[in-house]
Amino acid sequence: MTRAIPGQPPATTPPSKPTEDVRAVDLELAQRCRHGDAAAFEELYRAHAGRLYNLVFRMVGSAQEADDLLQDVFLNAYRKLGSFRGESSLGTWLYRLAVNQCLDVLRGRQSKMARVTDSLDDEGATEPAAISPVVPTAVSRLDLDRAIARLPPGCRSAFILHDVEGFEHNEVAKLLGVSEGTSKSQVHKARMKLRVMLSGIGQ
Amino acid sequence: MSCQDYEIALSDYVDGTLDERSRIVVEAHLASCERCRAVVADFSLIRQAALSLEPALPPAHVWTKLSTAFEAEQRSPLHGWSFSWQQSLAASLVAITLVASLAWIGKGLAPVNGSSARLASAATNEPTSVKAEFDLAEAQYTSAIEGLESITTREQAALDMETADVLKANLTVIDGAITESRAALQTEPDNPAAQDSLFDALRSKLELLQDVVALINEMRKGNPEGAARIVSGLNQ
Repeated sequence: MTRAIPGQPPATTPPSKPTEDVRAVDLELAQRCRHGDAAAFEELYRAHAGRLYNLVFRMVGSAQEADDLLQDVFLNAYRKLGSFRGESSLGTWLYRLAVNQCLDVLRGRQSKMARVTDSLDDEGATEPAAISPVVPTAVSRLDLDRAIARLPPGCRSAFILHDVEGFEHNEVAKLLGVSEGTSKSQVHKARMKLRVMLSGIGQ
Repeated sequence: MSCQDYEIALSDYVDGTLDERSRIVVEAHLASCERCRAVVADFSLIRQAALSLEPALPPAHVWTKLSTAFEAEQRSPLHGWSFSWQQSLAASLVAITLVASLAWIGKGLAPVNGSSARLASAATNEPTSVKAEFDLAEAQYTSAIEGLESITTREQAALDMETADVLKANLTVIDGAITESRAALQTEPDNPAAQDSLFDALRSKLELLQDVVALINEMRKGNPEGAARIVSGLNQ
């Protein structure tokens, strides 16, 4: 079910086994960036910003925050390029970095919210006892993006990585540092909550 | 089996990841359960809509700001990650200046004059050999680190327990690397890999401590957003 992303290797590409060609090209680009080559840094940005922004935007749920976070991701990547050894492709390495930064932001928000409520994951979780489908057949992008932004952090990240970005559960588990079972249950939880929100019950 | 027993299986069914036996069991349940059929129909719609979401594209101003920040980063000698230890010698001179300025983080704190003085003194000594140059660079890093450590030790109470634990864990790892590199240099003092390794570890420690001092500074200024950003970096 993994979806290929234009301009990027498919998510199923084993991250630890880039081809020798990719490895050499990535290492060379990383090396040039580390040495302060502005053209190389722009090349890095142009090659990966689109995919990373898509992730970051949906994770944080606001364009302004996504803009700032994308900059932080690339600056952080520049600072950490010394630790890039080519074991995975540069795209995968950057993606992991971006996921981690998104999770940090979401965790920060969650800890703030935890002062207000101890049951964040149960927010708006009234399940419809419907015996017929409740989600409109034509879900608009806007409605879905808004609903995703309202998901609690844990299930939001799993849902975005699995249902939007197209990763398999084992890959989501690795990216989030959780078990595959947790990834499955979080995606399921997200879908249940989205069902409520998109039906209008959770509005 | 109740509907609850099928919950996760319904998601797997929609994803098409069930093995044949499980799929048959779920389909048998669906045949007799209107509620779960509704869930499956809705999940399919949600999944389809999620997969077909249009990609969000970064606005042009992101690159404009980023390229400016990149240039600023270039001008900061503290962020040259590919420096050799010889190049780090020069960078550490600038680092200690920053240490001295960061050291002033509120009432009752004095700049780390001792460290600065030792560094200044060390910096004026012209290295006479590669070994002397190496020793000088190491001394400068050590001096800078000592200055920062004295601040973080004094001000540690300002950090919350979780951050203090992260800091402690990171320092333990880095100190382990420093100890290992020094042990390797005892055996092979001229081994360039061991020298680089020691300076990488010293540089990591210096940067970590600088982040912590900056964090304490942000907390004292009452800037939770700035502090959160730094904590986010510490957790990487």
